[in-house]
Amino acid sequence: MNTLAENVSMIKPSPLLARKAIVKIENLCVEYRRRELCGATKPVVNNLNLSVQEGEVYGFLGPNGAGKTTTMNVLLGFTNATSGEAWLFGENVREPIARQRIGYLPELTYYYKFLSAEELLRFYACIFRIPKAERERRIDDVLKLVELEHARKRQIKTYSKGMQQRVGLAQALVNNPELLILDEPTSGLDPVGRMKVREVIQRLKNEGKTVFFSSHELGEVETVCDRVAILHQGELKLDGRLSELAESNRCSLEQLFLRVVGYEHHPDTPPLPCV
Amino acid sequence: MNNLFAVAGVVIKELYRRKDFYVLFVLTILICVVMGSVRIFNDAKIARYLKEICLLLVWISSLVIAITTTARQIPAERENRTLFPLLAKPLSRTELLVGKFLGCWFACGLALLCFYLFFALLAGSREQHWSFINYFQAAVLHWVMLGVVVALTLLGSLVFTAPSSNTTICFLAVAGILILGRHLNKVALHLPEPRRSILYAVYYCIPHLELFDVRDLIIHNWPPIPWRVCILATVYALAYATAFLIAASLVFRRKAIN
Amino acid sequence: MSAPRVSCLLVAALAVLCFGLAAELDTWFQAWAGNRAQSADMLNVLLGDGRRMFANHFYVKADAYFHSGFYPTVFDNREAFQTAHMAEDSGTVGGRNQGEETGFLGKPRDWIDAFSRQFFPSEHTHLDQGGAQGQANGAGDLGEGSEVREILPWLRLSADLDPNRVETYTVTAYWLRERMGKVAEAEKFLRDGLRENPGSYEILYELGRVYSENKNDPARARNLWEAALRQWQRQEAAQAEPDKYLFNQIAAHLAMLEQKEGNYRQALVYLEMWKTRSPSPESVQKFIEEVRQKLDRGTPDIPRPADKKPTEAP
Repeated sequence: MNTLAENVSMIKPSPLLARKAIVKIENLCVEYRRRELCGATKPVVNNLNLSVQEGEVYGFLGPNGAGKTTTMNVLLGFTNATSGEAWLFGENVREPIARQRIGYLPELTYYYKFLSAEELLRFYACIFRIPKAERERRIDDVLKLVELEHARKRQIKTYSKGMQQRVGLAQALVNNPELLILDEPTSGLDPVGRMKVREVIQRLKNEGKTVFFSSHELGEVETVCDRVAILHQGELKLDGRLSELAESNRCSLEQLFLRVVGYEHHPDTPPLPCV
Repeated sequence: MNNLFAVAGVVIKELYRRKDFYVLFVLTILICVVMGSVRIFNDAKIARYLKEICLLLVWISSLVIAITTTARQIPAERENRTLFPLLAKPLSRTELLVGKFLGCWFACGLALLCFYLFFALLAGSREQHWSFINYFQAAVLHWVMLGVVVALTLLGSLVFTAPSSNTTICFLAVAGILILGRHLNKVALHLPEPRRSILYAVYYCIPHLELFDVRDLIIHNWPPIPWRVCILATVYALAYATAFLIAASLVFRRKAIN
Repeated sequence: MSAPRVSCLLVAALAVLCFGLAAELDTWFQAWAGNRAQSADMLNVLLGDGRRMFANHFYVKADAYFHSGFYPTVFDNREAFQTAHMAEDSGTVGGRNQGEETGFLGKPRDWIDAFSRQFFPSEHTHLDQGGAQGQANGAGDLGEGSEVREILPWLRLSADLDPNRVETYTVTAYWLRERMGKVAEAEKFLRDGLRENPGSYEILYELGRVYSENKNDPARARNLWEAALRQWQRQEAAQAEPDKYLFNQIAAHLAMLEQKEGNYRQALVYLEMWKTRSPSPESVQKFIEEVRQKLDRGTPDIPRPADKKPTEAP
């Protein structure tokens, strides 16, 4: 039988401890002013703390109105936090440079209808300051990946919805991002489209990239994610590795989700662990 | 600077892919050709009325292009949700605003180039001589004035919710300044206090866009304006444009865009 | 009854009602005095009586062109521009201008005012004296006089908008024949004006000048001026403030004409008429003395050189 010291020395350090936090949120609060209550504020995100490690695929879950989009908006600089801070790659999210290494795919993909896919990608690549030769190579690669080579010179207003979604994915990948932020990436897609998105996420994961996405498709989340967080009424209710949560709660992600948001309490399900 | 020119490039592309400019340009040409074909007392050399009509159309068209193109930039980006993937890039709001300003301003400059080339051809065909320096000065001053108008409209697009109200208000303000700006001090002299002081304050605060309206000098073949005066006027306009852009940037930074 | 049938019947009933109303109202509309649709003139139909306001605007615009853009606005002192200078210079209307022509701008009131004067015409000039380029080149009288052509479009437009504004015809005709050499166009324009304003003594007088000064036809000129005089007597003589300026012009021209033709007695008649309304009768009296002397001597008169402008009462 090994001694305690030998057992401790046999424990390999967790890979997570060695990785740095790509996304870090500390004590984040966001409040909106309500017009009908004569200036009273409505808290949307309340004291949120979370971090996403390098190389993770992180699922950000919650019912509608939980504060997921607001949190993403803070990360992307669309909304200012009422209090608290957030960092991307160690840069405060208020600085534009924090977004140099990220790609963002919004839920609703609309782009300049008078531009072609190629022109749009070239425009975004210019903003990322990608050198010209590499820019053209990246555009070719990304258009090939999303299967839009045949329509690259047509104006986006002639594209179908599926093609516009793919343009969205292309613009999110044009700068070869180290962090991909996806807001409900499979919303409105057919099963083939969903599969392609999953393939992209898996591919990025294999390349060691970090993916942070919100979704209502819990089945997909279970397939691709390493860690998940569940937000409810602006507060973080659950945060942990998917495998550990499933093992400790002995239920599916869906059942766990419903329990967290207070939808049902089945007498057979064990009580929630403290967070 | 890279970001600014990238955003400006998209605005310029939008201008020449929309139909507004072409419609106005063709309309201007048509009206001028029709008016020019009129024989007045069998004299083919009458030129000034045609120059005036052409320049009036150029001014109206340029203001329409400047104000309508600029007024829809930010609101259309927000409405079409193209603002979000754009601001998710390493582009600050100020850079976006300045890029939009440069794009609208350069787009107006390109449109003005076409208009003034046509005007020079028209005037030269009648008068049999070209006053290149005068036309150049007029075009540059006109373009610089449009910079102030574009900056003002950009500020308005962030203050007013609807693009249509911004467009209307900007048109009224610009037209009011062009027509009445020079005379406010004369009107103020005849008013009692405190209206006199208020009007004087307005007179000193507004950008005097009428300074850049040198149509009468062009139409009636006056000598060119001294270059130092042109440079001073340009600096004056750029100062106002900068002030409006700074104000717009301050408003935009605090605005929730989602 | 089904809904589509009911809708069709309703539409048919409305159509019948509309046709009936139209037939009923049409007779009244045709008889209505304010019916502009009967006019053949497009401008009259579109603008109605409001076109007279535009006519005045374009008449003033012509004078602004005469000054190469240097013109007072409604906010400036317009004492020196009450009578259009292009009209005053043509001798077709009496002047009412007071004050300095160059003075309406005044001294700059502030730095913006001073700076702005670089960007619009701020020197007084007339087109018949070279205009802006004449001013710049230091040309004196009678520079490139044909630049006066530039005022013609606005005068033409003003006449189209208000055909009853007589002054437009006379001023236009003067510049057409004097500086442009377009005598035929001037005559035609005056005859158009006479058609619109039958019995206008101003137009008759100006037509007489066309025949006298440009066509060298003293007989027709005499007829026209005599007709003008008769019309003046009919229209103005009984007025509280008759148009003395034109009367003096007509009488003076008739007197000159008769004197030139050697009809001294008739010339005296017209000179006496001129004297009754002249602002300086003593000067006219000198002319009368001269003619009487010629009459007494029984010698033919040496013709006076034709003036470019009609001689005003000295």
